[in-house]
Amino acid sequence: MPTYIIRRLLTLVPMAIVISFLVYLGLELTPGDAVSHMIPPDGIGSMDPERLQMLRESLGLGQPFLVRYWIWLTGVVQGEFGYSLSGGVPIAQIFLTRLPATLELSIAALVISSIAGSILGTISALTRGSKTDQALTTVGMLGVSIPEFFIGLVAILIFSLNLQWLPVGGRLMPGDDSFWDRIPNLVMPALVLSIMMTAGVMRYARSSMLDALSKDFVRTARSKGMPEWRVNLLHGFRVALTPVIVLIGFRLPVLIGGTVVIEQVFQWPGIGNEFIASVRAQDYPLVMMIALFSVIAVLLASLIVDILTAVIDPRVRLGD
Amino acid sequence: MTIAQPDRGKRRRSKLDAQFDRIRDREEAGQVKKRRRGRFWNKFLNNHLAVAGLVVFTFIILVSVFAPLLTSYDPRAVDLRSMTQAPSLEHWFGTDRTGRDVFARVLYGGRISILVGLGSAILCAIIGVIIGIYSGYIGGWLDWFAMRVSEVFMAFPQIILVLLLVSILGQSLANLMIIFTLTGWGGIYRMARARMLSLREEEYVQALRSFGLGPARIAYKHMLPNALGPIMVNITLSTAAFILQEAALSFLGLGVPLSVPTWGNILNAAQDLRILENYWWIWLPVGVTISLFVLSVNFIGDGLRDATDPSQQG
Repeated sequence: MPTYIIRRLLTLVPMAIVISFLVYLGLELTPGDAVSHMIPPDGIGSMDPERLQMLRESLGLGQPFLVRYWIWLTGVVQGEFGYSLSGGVPIAQIFLTRLPATLELSIAALVISSIAGSILGTISALTRGSKTDQALTTVGMLGVSIPEFFIGLVAILIFSLNLQWLPVGGRLMPGDDSFWDRIPNLVMPALVLSIMMTAGVMRYARSSMLDALSKDFVRTARSKGMPEWRVNLLHGFRVALTPVIVLIGFRLPVLIGGTVVIEQVFQWPGIGNEFIASVRAQDYPLVMMIALFSVIAVLLASLIVDILTAVIDPRVRLGD
Repeated sequence: MTIAQPDRGKRRRSKLDAQFDRIRDREEAGQVKKRRRGRFWNKFLNNHLAVAGLVVFTFIILVSVFAPLLTSYDPRAVDLRSMTQAPSLEHWFGTDRTGRDVFARVLYGGRISILVGLGSAILCAIIGVIIGIYSGYIGGWLDWFAMRVSEVFMAFPQIILVLLLVSILGQSLANLMIIFTLTGWGGIYRMARARMLSLREEEYVQALRSFGLGPARIAYKHMLPNALGPIMVNITLSTAAFILQEAALSFLGLGVPLSVPTWGNILNAAQDLRILENYWWIWLPVGVTISLFVLSVNFIGDGLRDATDPSQQG
């Protein structure tokens, strides 16, 4: 097992380095450098070119690209993420204030969609071919076909503007109120965000459950005279759940993508909202840093999923 | 399917069993006519949802293509005397904040949105299949390199990578299609490659090799047709995904420039809560259109998968 983890880590590290290199390259290719962002555009024309050059030298901009990349990379590893162009706020500080909101939203959606998806998928598989199954499959198809933000808009119209049950959007800041006071703001975005994932998990859970139910050990359990619900739950559901957990782990990119859009619809003050704002403002250092972090999150998630699968299924680590 | 299953007790005779018996009787009597359509079309046309999907899909494409014949309004013509009018005989879907006819905008917007979705999916398929088929069959350093590149692209959450590239390249229709192609080719490449790896060991491939055929000829002429099923399924699924993404990006104001009518750009107006609450005709018809179109594409994709790959049937 330790050798397996080490082997996986060895493939992960070069990947992270290549991606960080690409991100830094992207930063280089974007117009302007640190100096042109420090000085207002109308001031830069009237400045002495020699002094500009000196300023660039003093910031280390005169050094070769690879040297600057190395300095940047070692800085990032030590937690120096640089500064946002708008207002010069340290990017680390932006992460600290924005990340809790995003985590709150995405974990809520992840929990909802995992539970609802596996339960509905199992029901669908157990009643295969029936009206219930057909209805669930069709609803699942609708769930992956309707744009998430459109569902969000309709939800705002119905539950906030017409019925006035829930707030239109936003999030109360921690410290303002207790956790329970913040729930009403969370309900709608979390539910809407979980819809697409629920549909995906449901489809996968259904086929995984059907696959498990056709196995020999299920037949054996039945022929022993075990009650049907015990067969389905103990032998079917438990076995079917493993691949579903793997799928949920690999769905993190989808979840991050959904978060970006949904945070915008509900004005949720998370990283996704910040990302859109920084793309709009062409705040390249912030854009690149958020992108880099999302990639690292995805890579770590896939590592964790791989390790979990290897723990559950010995064929994986003994294989290739 | 006809094997008796004694351990599950008495097996009900289903409609399907009766059908099988009837077919067997006809076969034994030598009455079976030669199939007119291939098995693929038979299976596809028997899938009602797939057929319904195909009908809706064709309908939406036709009304978009023939938009100038169906409406006399210019989707960009601002008419300040008729702002935010409710649907009427004159304006079927009403008008938006600047008096533009929403019906015309939905039709013309379909042209761009479908172009972006279908066009990028086909571009992805061309690139992914050309590289995947060749590197899957030949292997070697090209295969290793292409695999690493696709891994890098697939490590990014797609919308993050798309927005990152939008912020570097700038907003335009062509850029959006290039970005979608860059970010989307990996999936179809991997699929084509995996298919080739399993086909490579087939006997007919070995036979072709022993005849002395060149690798390119074997890969593209003889093996590619056997991988077409999953490729087509993949094209439909990525079309659906790209249309949803275009809509989301344009809704955020970061997709196709706002001056061009696309489905996402029309929906962009609904970010304003006043429009959302008071002028439903500006955003509801187009939202329903996107959903219907994506749904139809997904049903077609499911139908294609069932018709080409029986092992995936559920």
